[in-house]
Amino acid sequence: MLSYNFKYELKLLLRSKWIQLLSIILLLLFGFSGYNGKEKVAKRKAAITAAQDEVKKNDEMMLQLLDSIEKGMQVSASRWTLPTSPMAVGNYHPRVAAMESQSMAFIATGQADLFTHYVKPKVSGDDAALNFTEMTSPVQLLFGSFDLAFVIVYLLPLLIIAFSYDILSAEKESGSLRLLASQPIGIQNWVLQKLSLRFLWLSVLVIVALVITLFILEIAWFSMFTAFMLFISIVLTYMLFWFALAFLVNLWVGSSAKNAISLLGLWVLFVLLIPSTLNQVSTTLHPMPSRTLLINEMRGLKAEVAKKQDKILDNFLRDHPEYAINDTTQTRGFYHRYMASQQLVKGELKPVITTYENQLQKQQAWVEKLKWASPAITVQESLNKMAGTSTGDYDHFRKQVVVFAETWRSYLTPFLYNNQNFTQKDYPELPQFVFLPKPESKLHLVPVILLGITTLLFGIGYISSKKFEERTVLTSF
Amino acid sequence: MITTQNLTKKYNNQTALDRLNLNVGKGEIYCLLGANGAGKTTTINLLLGFIEPTSGNALINGLNVLENSKETKKFLAYIPENLMLYPSLTAIENLDYFSGIAGKKLTKQHLISFLKEAGLQESAFEKRITAFSKGMRQKVGIAIALAKDAKVLLLDEPTSGLDPKASNEFGQLLQKLSQKGVATLMATHDLFRAKEVATQIGIMKNGQLKEEFIANDISLTDLEKTYLVTMNYKEVAL
Repeated sequence: MLSYNFKYELKLLLRSKWIQLLSIILLLLFGFSGYNGKEKVAKRKAAITAAQDEVKKNDEMMLQLLDSIEKGMQVSASRWTLPTSPMAVGNYHPRVAAMESQSMAFIATGQADLFTHYVKPKVSGDDAALNFTEMTSPVQLLFGSFDLAFVIVYLLPLLIIAFSYDILSAEKESGSLRLLASQPIGIQNWVLQKLSLRFLWLSVLVIVALVITLFILEIAWFSMFTAFMLFISIVLTYMLFWFALAFLVNLWVGSSAKNAISLLGLWVLFVLLIPSTLNQVSTTLHPMPSRTLLINEMRGLKAEVAKKQDKILDNFLRDHPEYAINDTTQTRGFYHRYMASQQLVKGELKPVITTYENQLQKQQAWVEKLKWASPAITVQESLNKMAGTSTGDYDHFRKQVVVFAETWRSYLTPFLYNNQNFTQKDYPELPQFVFLPKPESKLHLVPVILLGITTLLFGIGYISSKKFEERTVLTSF
Repeated sequence: MITTQNLTKKYNNQTALDRLNLNVGKGEIYCLLGANGAGKTTTINLLLGFIEPTSGNALINGLNVLENSKETKKFLAYIPENLMLYPSLTAIENLDYFSGIAGKKLTKQHLISFLKEAGLQESAFEKRITAFSKGMRQKVGIAIALAKDAKVLLLDEPTSGLDPKASNEFGQLLQKLSQKGVATLMATHDLFRAKEVATQIGIMKNGQLKEEFIANDISLTDLEKTYLVTMNYKEVAL
């Protein structure tokens, strides 16, 4: 039966205008979303390159100025901005801390439309106030990004539903099921074989669409073959999950209309309801401290410490005898007091920042734990992780930037307190930010677990429908 | 070949079939006559295993259809009132598909010979079923039975809606199959066709087999009279 089912199902598919239309839609969706993803990555890369070019240009000017100053020439620049001052270097010549895009970044925008990909931590800046959030169009945020992940997680299940909702009911409604059921075949097996062929057809279409898209967009997918194969296996097992649901609905429900509504209901449940409910519950269970309150608290603290900066500086110098100077011509200025007070503000704010980070981690852990409640969440999360655009990836980047900001500050602070000028020979020693991508998650387990869930669904459908027997299936029309 | 033993089907308190005992042997054509709701289609559904009997047994080739569902279906072919095939497949493809899933791997030459034997005009072999008349579809149905090498043929109102010529051709086909030893059970309203092709005729009413004849022992007129009397149409018709 298998070979005949496959042979003629394929013929029926190829001759169906509806299927042809769906296939073309699928190819277009993949092409368009792939293009969008590539454009976003290109934009991100361009923004980082522009920022790096700007730093390079500034550095050249800084070195020219330093050269002129070191040669005793007069320079026309404000005293505050002269690069001999370590604070001027730290504030006006910051390095770019960039989150380079990963090789698979084009598949999922993830959090990329919410967070910035580079920052320039300044020596006098606050780590907590480092702005990682980008101003984004609220309309775009509402509709999301039309990337491959969106097509796979949201639209592909709809195409699968259109492909499979009436496998059995169409036969019932056209009357051909009676003839089929009079043959020595099991209806469950027959439905399963029809669905298998449609799954294979759609899988081929998806793979072809992806390869064509990557080829046209000149994305070197072959160089990331392992990641690409993992991506394909996640997509295929996610598709299989929806085919398993279609199998159950075909056997359990009745008419084509009822099947379509049931499957759309499941789509709403798995793709919309469960993810939004989980998100809502996670923010209710582990609410984030208000960012406005954090900023207010920081401002209050700063105002308070500003009043007693002399005292703070004295205390700071007492704690740092290495900065003691015996030369009476040397003085302590604004930045000495400011940097000392910054240390205090940082210490005071630490509990609030820690609470913020803890809550964020708790939220992420909660979602991570319950992501299996909906394969849509699992797949979206996995694709974001593969693309390096997940919440975890941005958190990982943020932490690296905070560490780098401290390194930047630590490098320049001794210059300040030792009243030492920054020179050309110090330039090569300036700390540089090197982005380390988040270590790869164990994503290879995702297709395995999805396959397990799918097998379970197929098993339930198979065993329970055996109880009905085809007699009951047939008499339901 | 086709046997029912006290075959009974009840839906809640309503009896659709009441202790039916039938026996259709090799090469015999048994026509079940009766009004709508008499129990003819229920009998066929029970023999196909589509529904479970409340009591009694339905046997095909000596095998209980409930216990040997797949095995019994290997022996039988079924043609419903409206034989629905796959409209986007051609006649040959439909025949290849249905005989294939029934376990018969046939060459194109064999498939063509069965379609020819079923009386389908050659120009229609490679045409899609969409444009086929009911009579042409019934011929493909017979070709499926031939291809399956069916020993038992179950027909549910196969001639209803056919024009006299097509109905006559269909009757001739049944007789050809009968000569090959196929046992046929045909539910029909068509008294004339029943008299023409049947070896035995039964009249059903309210789920019961009320009358049974050897077809050659009764004239068409007597058959009609008996049918109307059985159906309580006596006052109207006679």
